[in-house]
Amino acid sequence: MDLTQPSGTLGSVDDQKDAAAPPGGTLAPQWPTYDPAPFYDELVGSDGTPRPSAEALWNHFAELGPDALAERQLAADREIRALGVTFTVYDGGVGVDRPWPFDIIPRIIPRDQWQIIEAGLVQRLAALNLFIDDCYHDQRAVSAGVVPADLVTGSPNFRRECVGVDPPGGIWAHICGSDLIRDDEGFWYVLEDNLRVPSGVSYLLENRMVTKHIFPEMFRHYSIEPVDPYVGRLASTLASVSPSTGDPTIVVLTPGIHNSAYFEHAFLAQQLGVELVEGSDLVVLDDDCVYARTIDGLEQVDVIYRRVDDLFIDPEVFLPDSLLGVPGLMRAWKSGRVALVNAPGAGIADDKKVYSYVPDIIRFYLEEEPILWTIPTYRCSDPEARARVLNDLANLVVKPANESGGYGVLVGSQATPEELVVAAREIEDEPNRWVAQPIIKLSTAPTLCDDEVAPRHVDLRPFTLMGPDGAYVTRGGLTRVARRKGSLVVNSSQGGGSKDTWVVDSPSDTALAGGPT
Amino acid sequence: MTADLLGTEDVGAEGHEGDRTHRTRPEIGERASGAIDDGTGDLEEGRSGTMLLARMAEAVYWAGRHLERAEGTARIVQVHTDAHVDLPVGEDVGWEPLLAIAGVDSEFAERYQAAAGPEDARAAEEDVIEFLLHGEGNDSSILASMTAARENLRTARPVVPREAWEACNNLWLSSNDLLEEAHSREGRVRWLRRVIAGCQCIHGILLGTMSRDEAMSFLVLGQNIERADLTTRVLDVRSDSLHAPGADDPYDVVHWMAVLRSLAAYQPFRRAMPARPQGGSTLRFLLQDDRFPRAVGACLTEARAQLKVLPHSERAQEACQNASMVVASAPVARLTLGGLSEFLEDVQLALVEIHERVDDTYFRPSFVGWEPTAASR
Repeated sequence: MDLTQPSGTLGSVDDQKDAAAPPGGTLAPQWPTYDPAPFYDELVGSDGTPRPSAEALWNHFAELGPDALAERQLAADREIRALGVTFTVYDGGVGVDRPWPFDIIPRIIPRDQWQIIEAGLVQRLAALNLFIDDCYHDQRAVSAGVVPADLVTGSPNFRRECVGVDPPGGIWAHICGSDLIRDDEGFWYVLEDNLRVPSGVSYLLENRMVTKHIFPEMFRHYSIEPVDPYVGRLASTLASVSPSTGDPTIVVLTPGIHNSAYFEHAFLAQQLGVELVEGSDLVVLDDDCVYARTIDGLEQVDVIYRRVDDLFIDPEVFLPDSLLGVPGLMRAWKSGRVALVNAPGAGIADDKKVYSYVPDIIRFYLEEEPILWTIPTYRCSDPEARARVLNDLANLVVKPANESGGYGVLVGSQATPEELVVAAREIEDEPNRWVAQPIIKLSTAPTLCDDEVAPRHVDLRPFTLMGPDGAYVTRGGLTRVARRKGSLVVNSSQGGGSKDTWVVDSPSDTALAGGPT
Repeated sequence: MTADLLGTEDVGAEGHEGDRTHRTRPEIGERASGAIDDGTGDLEEGRSGTMLLARMAEAVYWAGRHLERAEGTARIVQVHTDAHVDLPVGEDVGWEPLLAIAGVDSEFAERYQAAAGPEDARAAEEDVIEFLLHGEGNDSSILASMTAARENLRTARPVVPREAWEACNNLWLSSNDLLEEAHSREGRVRWLRRVIAGCQCIHGILLGTMSRDEAMSFLVLGQNIERADLTTRVLDVRSDSLHAPGADDPYDVVHWMAVLRSLAAYQPFRRAMPARPQGGSTLRFLLQDDRFPRAVGACLTEARAQLKVLPHSERAQEACQNASMVVASAPVARLTLGGLSEFLEDVQLALVEIHERVDDTYFRPSFVGWEPTAASR
């Protein structure tokens, strides 16, 4: 039986404290019809009153009224347009820049809760880094029977070229953008560990900036953890893996202006104060060093924060047609003359099948119990699990094991009978390609929709940095919101919006569930 | 118009040189002198995080040129509209000169006049204005220039202040949004003013918040080459009416005032020159003045000052010096009698030569500079 058990410590027991919260001082909500049931709502309890951490916000919104709120949303939209905060969507092969979709109602997470999540994310990334390093060395986890050999060497994300390489500090995944969700009881789960080229952090930072301009008064009511320190921590993480002893030369490598995340690449380069390079700006010479074509000739580069996928970074080694990469880059990296962030091959741990083993991976390498929960995952390659999946398809989410960005995901309960038949056939044809999970009833947050405030499903993408000198987690993360009613799709490429996320110094309204600590 | 991006108070060549040496960039100086053979020590010295990608340099250079072109074209259209109103019907010069200044006469003819018959030879105001502001097929229209400036600044975001990009993005958005209003004369004035003010705002942000680094040098360089070019083109169009020596044209002063105004030069001219605006004094001022930022001479002085702080700029500096010499030796008095057009063409060719040498030195894809060898490590 291939079903991992939830194990962890973080969750919530709904509304225990809400019930005890003093009713005085709470104005009647301006939106009496706001009813998130049957879901867990981030700001509002099941009795319709705001959670303690959201009280000040909710009251303020009630005072403002719907018209003023709508006006502020307009002001936010205007600011985002003026700031040029965009993402690119592809419509019939043509990239179109769209203003970044932002909902002004923030999501609030009490700090004591966040501290546990933070510890859980660091624990997870530490274990995943040990796992990646092991994959490219002795494969102890395989010999110890923790993971099957096929999970490693059979993975499309396993890069033979990386075997035996020792990146500084044994860190392969320096930047991780995890996807977290909460179920209908408010329990937190990790949904995905994005270790390849996770994006979204620029929007997290921009969302906060806009919120400061739109609701400056709220910052008097709340002590909100700042998000800005991320850039400084990113800079020091990048510098910490430099192979040179002097001041390192760092660059951000982008696929170019037509990439959907180009805004972010340019933003990060600007914030870090480093050059934004394309593959054609770099050259690897016979000395295995990487140089940038500057106005003063070639200058050596020490650290490359690459936002180009593994398979495109070096046409000498991977896709020979790639124009996005730099011939010889792998050679330079393997010889230790340049650091790549994240390291090539880190994607081995970013895979839905590996995901299902993460609790065991944490126990094996760290000898600790996982702090964050993993969603029980059926691996369809296992005959018993497959039979159960096929039997219960309408109540499961089926996902391709190696895709990201929400592509190819089938939500059984929302699928047509025909779609279910197709999915069943695909699973039987290529069981290895698929995993299935129970449908999690994603939590909701109040969202402005056509001038009314309505519950919409959300997830959360915090970013974790890990270098030889330590780890850092953003305070909060990028909250993505599905803007259509009932929709579970939060990806901005598929019409999702976003919210500012506040980690606040206020009492947690949700108890922390038991389990090993 | 008061923005003085060029720092022309101290335009003496020596003064500039002294000034610029304060922008010490030891890594460039040492590397440019060929110290690479020394090996790793020198490499360390060179890697202090101030490098400028050739591609970024090209982007800021073109951002400088396109911003200047947008602003310059807006000024010219605005002033021409004003002057047009001043002249009696029949005395006016029509709207074609604007096309000539922008260098898009043939593109315009292709689009608008092919359809119209020969009896309709004179270009209609609406058509010319539309073409110059945002006409399809006009790569130098104000809107096209702003779009290009925005794209280049977008590419160069990491090396330009964030606020400058935002201001440019904002100007581009509002110019697009409000394009309709530019169709009436009255709305046009507002639209053009907004463009000019917006460009000035971007310049102001750059001047006030951008480090005087290599990226800034490329931006100012592009701006000054474009400026000099625009000034010669404004003068060139005027050269047609110079061929009648002694002819007493009652509107001569009006025309020369318009020339000065379209380069924002009227007031500076008045302060600098006691004479009333006429051919000789205007030419002398717009070609040879070393203090007015839009005079060709001043543009070249500034361009050369920027080149001086860039590595490997010897050939481009040489071209710049050559252009300065052409301008300085202009026989202004004789030119008012004839040959101005030919002379201005020489100046334009000299400007093209500067551009080509800059392009060749820094932006060509083949450019690799010196290459350290494995032995140097």
